[in-house]
Amino acid sequence: MKRQRRVPPSLTARTDLTPTLESVIAAARSHHPDVDADLLERAYAEASVWHAGQRRRSGDPHITHCLAVAAIVAELRMPPAVVCAALLHDVEDTACPPQRIADQLGHEVADLIAAVRTADVSAYPQAGKGTSLASGATTGPSWETAVLAIRLADRLHNMRTIAFVAQTKRLLKARETLDVFAPAASAAGLETVGRELQDLASAVLRPAIPSYVVTGRLLAVLALLLPSRQRARWQEEWSAELAALTTRRARTRFTLHVLLGAPRLSMTLRRPFRQARR
Amino acid sequence: MGMPRMTLQTQLVLRALLEDPARQRYGLELCELAGLPSGTIYPILARLEQVGWLESSWEDPAVHEAEGRPRRRFYRIAQDGAEQAREALARTYRSRKQPLPGWVSAHPAAEGGAS
Repeated sequence: MKRQRRVPPSLTARTDLTPTLESVIAAARSHHPDVDADLLERAYAEASVWHAGQRRRSGDPHITHCLAVAAIVAELRMPPAVVCAALLHDVEDTACPPQRIADQLGHEVADLIAAVRTADVSAYPQAGKGTSLASGATTGPSWETAVLAIRLADRLHNMRTIAFVAQTKRLLKARETLDVFAPAASAAGLETVGRELQDLASAVLRPAIPSYVVTGRLLAVLALLLPSRQRARWQEEWSAELAALTTRRARTRFTLHVLLGAPRLSMTLRRPFRQARR
Repeated sequence: MGMPRMTLQTQLVLRALLEDPARQRYGLELCELAGLPSGTIYPILARLEQVGWLESSWEDPAVHEAEGRPRRRFYRIAQDGAEQAREALARTYRSRKQPLPGWVSAHPAAEGGAS
């Protein structure tokens, strides 16, 4: 029984529907026509067994994350063994016996999974320079690029669903994504992955609506206290002053004082004396 | 035309503007010069403009566009405003009983009256 996925807020507005095993196989086949579907099916079966009952913070079964990561890796033109390793990249956190993956799916897949867990992504931007991950289809990716692809795909899906993670951890992950993962992706020639990581992380670190916009909206409401003919002028004048204030604190202070002075200003403007020029 | 009430805050604003009468100032600048919060400054500026002592105008587009920010509203003492403002400020001094604030002058009468 499949649960309806809650779609997290995403800057890139991508419909983050969980891929199925079929779509993962199709993606792998589009870059590697001779793909052994049976291998991927067995990897999926293993992942389903060992992750059974586990759920993500979003409430989705953990296997949805395995599929999503495998789909990203397949789209990065990685060979089938790497896609299998992506399906099973979290299997070491389960009760799966250490030798089992090597026995069932071969040493390459098992070694990749082990390498993914120990890889230091921050070491990649230098090492990865010049070697383009994106061109992996023709020459076959190096061991390092295959490992990096899985790590990046893992982080990308985690960032797409980060809305469900607690605030503190979310900020830490976003910072690390911005400082380590996004540069590593770009250095490996994966501009689109790098850009999406950067966008997702930036959205976490910097709220979508800057505070001066909020204060600016408040000023627009304040201007309603003034005679209608004068509103636009004062609102514009205050906005210009707000834009010159650099700290949130200063802007809040400014707005608060304008609020306190608004009744008096309104009274002044309503006096039957000579109208202000212009 | 009317007269603004010469409150202490109004005097501070006028003095700030009269320091360099030809110069245009924006509200936030006057807040700093006069040491007054934003909420106090704007009603005073509006009032002084009403009585014709000040004139205000929008900033030259060339300047704020070059600096990439919204245009400011500038204030300046009006031509005939400067004289009236100085006069009014002077009157506030004259109307006081003591030529200097009490804490400056050691006026024996003030001490006698307090006891």
